[in-house]
Amino acid sequence: MIETLSLMAGGFVSALYPVNILAMIAGVTIGIVIGCLPGLSAAMGVALLLPMTFSMEASTGMIMLGAIYCGAIFGGSISAILIHTPGTPASAATAIEGYQMTLKGQAGKALGTACIASFFGGLLSCISLYFFAPVLGQLAMKFGSPEYFWLSIFGLTIIAGVSSKSMVKGLMSGALGLLLSTIGMDPMQGVKRFMFGQSSLYEGINVTCALIGLFSMSQALILAEAKIRQRAKAAKFNDRMMLTKDELKTIAPTIGRSWIIGNLVGILPGAGASIACFMGYNTARQFSKNKELFGHGSYEGVAGSEAANNAVTGGSLIPMLTLGIPGESVTAVLMGGLIIQGLTPGPNLFVGETAKMTYTFFAGFVLIQFFMLGIGLLGCRGFAHIARLSDAILIPSVTILCVVGSFAIHQNFVDVVIMLIFGVIGWLARKFGLNNAAIVLALILGPIGEKGLRRSLLLSGGDPRILFSTPVCWVLIALCVLGILSPILMDRMAGKEIES
Amino acid sequence: MKMKKTDIGVCLVMYGVCAFFLYMTLQLPKAAQIYPLCVIALLAALTTLHVFNMIRAAIKEGVESGLDDFKDFVPSQFFTLFAMILIYLAVMPYLGFYVASVLFMSASLIFLRVKLWQAVLAEIAIIALVYCAFTLFLEVRLPAGILFE
Repeated sequence: MIETLSLMAGGFVSALYPVNILAMIAGVTIGIVIGCLPGLSAAMGVALLLPMTFSMEASTGMIMLGAIYCGAIFGGSISAILIHTPGTPASAATAIEGYQMTLKGQAGKALGTACIASFFGGLLSCISLYFFAPVLGQLAMKFGSPEYFWLSIFGLTIIAGVSSKSMVKGLMSGALGLLLSTIGMDPMQGVKRFMFGQSSLYEGINVTCALIGLFSMSQALILAEAKIRQRAKAAKFNDRMMLTKDELKTIAPTIGRSWIIGNLVGILPGAGASIACFMGYNTARQFSKNKELFGHGSYEGVAGSEAANNAVTGGSLIPMLTLGIPGESVTAVLMGGLIIQGLTPGPNLFVGETAKMTYTFFAGFVLIQFFMLGIGLLGCRGFAHIARLSDAILIPSVTILCVVGSFAIHQNFVDVVIMLIFGVIGWLARKFGLNNAAIVLALILGPIGEKGLRRSLLLSGGDPRILFSTPVCWVLIALCVLGILSPILMDRMAGKEIES
Repeated sequence: MKMKKTDIGVCLVMYGVCAFFLYMTLQLPKAAQIYPLCVIALLAALTTLHVFNMIRAAIKEGVESGLDDFKDFVPSQFFTLFAMILIYLAVMPYLGFYVASVLFMSASLIFLRVKLWQAVLAEIAIIALVYCAFTLFLEVRLPAGILFE
């Protein structure tokens, strides 16, 4: 206990180093810019800027990526409120009430509400990060090879959860990712597999290249295919952004409820901020004393949606950091960031020297929320103009950043070619209903599962019963079944929220 | 839900990937074949399951083109921009990163009819960002170009 408290305190001291503060400011600003640009997502932003964290210390790099994540989730509300176009899917519910408030001349108040609700949602989500992550991490310490095998299978069943339309297509995407993860050196036999004579594929496909290609380059191709249209002009606003004491009192219970919803949705693999925002919005309406305002510009609705989607951020980091299971695309990209720093997501993050890095990141995640509040409130007017940036400028800009980012990994042109190939795969996958997040999850989890399986069989002399030998294995098998069934559950949840 | 015609192509590609990896796997030593074969079998099984789902959907609900996601697709714009990206990557080793990037950005911004002042501003911003972040901060040695070395 005392050790944990000292790690927490040490984390705050380290997080307050000037370089970390700079990373937070830069990350939040970049995140808000990316978030408020319709067409660019949080996952895409984090993937695009991943290479910039190579030379940073692990904690600073992770703080910067975390800041981009939080900033992007909040940034989506700016364009949702001012131009009725959610910057990210996580702000879809915010657009309903936020734009109505803009039409009533209350855009400033809507943005202020979004900012404050996002701040509290994100801040409260850190509580669960601090309390649940180490507990789960300790549990995962007891895992052996069979458990790691089932853990990766559980992660792969989440693929079914992140699939938006067809579960089978999601699983097909995952299997394709698994197959691609076999490229490189065989971990047990030392045999070259499917390397096509490229020595740079010795360690397999570089996950960062795949991430940049699947999330960022594919997005540039998506933007390139449609006719370039001018975006609606952002509404000008002169009203106050700060809420009064009474207004803050009114939204406080809404924020509390949305925090719990967002946190639980975040921890659940497969769900995400886009579901949480509708659940938060709907719950705000159910409990509101001013139900008649909903649909006509209710700031409680904005608060419900924004607190919920930002509460997802802390929760979604828990399964990724403790078990090495990213539950959605942004955390998959963040996990790529950890791997690049030479760290293995999982229980080892809470042991020894690495624990200091982890707690610095946690403390940074708390401080990020304060910077998000400050930068959000001060910069909303400026960000509103950025939301109008044309796709015509974004297409070549994103392409150049993808090229330079993938080149920077090993200063090798082969990585750029791999990135472009994954960009095309990502574009085709999106057009034909396959799932990019599933491909990435499988690319990350494939080698873990393969090692777990083959080590287990080696230990048991080829007897597969070792895979069913402990209670933890059976718990994980049960979770795998739940993972397969989760899309049906999620569909029902999302359907109900959107309907109502 | 109706069966999408485009899913036929998806399944064919998946079977093609399976066949290609199967051929490659059979070239490996026996002990190294087991895991890739399991994954290939998994992909083939899931694709076959999807084929059954498609047939069931076609019988129950009918067939649709599945091209809804392409309704805003502008082929001339997309393929021109994609060709520009390929040319950009092809000339980069010769012209160097910065020259190739300026040419690529100018060509694509002119093609997409961006106003001159906006194009110039965007180019300066992106090149400055890359220079500060990658050349100065990360000290990445970006391709200088064979022609300029």
